[in-house]
Amino acid sequence: MQLTINGEERRVAEVDTVAALLDHLRVSHQAVAVMVNGAIVARERYAEYPVKERDVLEIVRFVGGG
Amino acid sequence: MEAPQSPWAFSDKERVRRLVALPGVRRESLSKLASARVAIVGVGGLGNASALYLAAQGVGHLTLVDGDAVAQHNLGRQILFRPEDVGRLKVEAAAEALRRLRPELGVSTVAAPLGESNWRAVLANHDLVLDGLDQGLPRDLLNRWAVETGRPVVFAGAIGYEAQVFVVQGGRPCLHCLFGSVAEVAEDCAVTGVLGPVVGMAGLVQAQEALKLLLQVGRPLVGRLWLWDAFSGSTRILEVPARPDCPVCGAAPTAHKG
Ligand SMILES: [Zn+2]
Repeated sequence: MQLTINGEERRVAEVDTVAALLDHLRVSHQAVAVMVNGAIVARERYAEYPVKERDVLEIVRFVGGG
Repeated sequence: MEAPQSPWAFSDKERVRRLVALPGVRRESLSKLASARVAIVGVGGLGNASALYLAAQGVGHLTLVDGDAVAQHNLGRQILFRPEDVGRLKVEAAAEALRRLRPELGVSTVAAPLGESNWRAVLANHDLVLDGLDQGLPRDLLNRWAVETGRPVVFAGAIGYEAQVFVVQGGRPCLHCLFGSVAEVAEDCAVTGVLGPVVGMAGLVQAQEALKLLLQVGRPLVGRLWLWDAFSGSTRILEVPARPDCPVCGAAPTAHKG
């Protein structure tokens, strides 16, 4: 499917939820911010929140060092 | 604490001369800067960089909070420290370096980590807080302070080649809206590594945002996440909406504007 992730158009395997996309991209579910079409998705909703063709996503890892 | 007498002491008027000419800066804001109390929580790579610029630029009072001692492996990026500081408390060594930089600066030190037992007392009576931490749990406490008081907290982090800065002001959106609880996050520069100037840059962006907030100029990074990737040389800014169901800043009538 075609998605825009962090400003880049990408072709990824068919996924139906945020959780599935993160797993596909091998991104940890902890301390990551996910926005789908401008809305923030709470971590508790990753497993149910839908990802659809041509969605625009931001996936940002929390950077904790100081 | 008393500033030591110095033959080089001169008026802070000279120090802020280049601020006066800036668009948007009013004289009243300059006196606000001179009376501002800023807490820097964590005196590592971020705190070293932000403290230098805030002190030099004329912020009235800095409170430095850190329980650690200077280690040799800090010296590559924690630029207030000298080899002879190794083993000393970071807050002591940093306070001394900052007083040398600007004798008129008010500095107080808290030689303990920020935790559940002390955060309210330590942060009380500050206009603004800078996050210089390298752990998650106390960041959740800074976020609670930001939501409860409405006052600005300038969050930052850096690791590897990456840096982030995010400002919470007026209580929402908050850090929890963005990342959920970060209490469990333990990232270790010892494992991942960090490029000195990247963490320094994040600290300087924090100082820049703090000055914008204190001088009330421009558009601070409130509710916007600034991302810097030095590896690819790219920067982005993400607009972060408040989460209506955020357990920290959502619904609860805690936030009052400060
Ligand atoms: Zn929130």
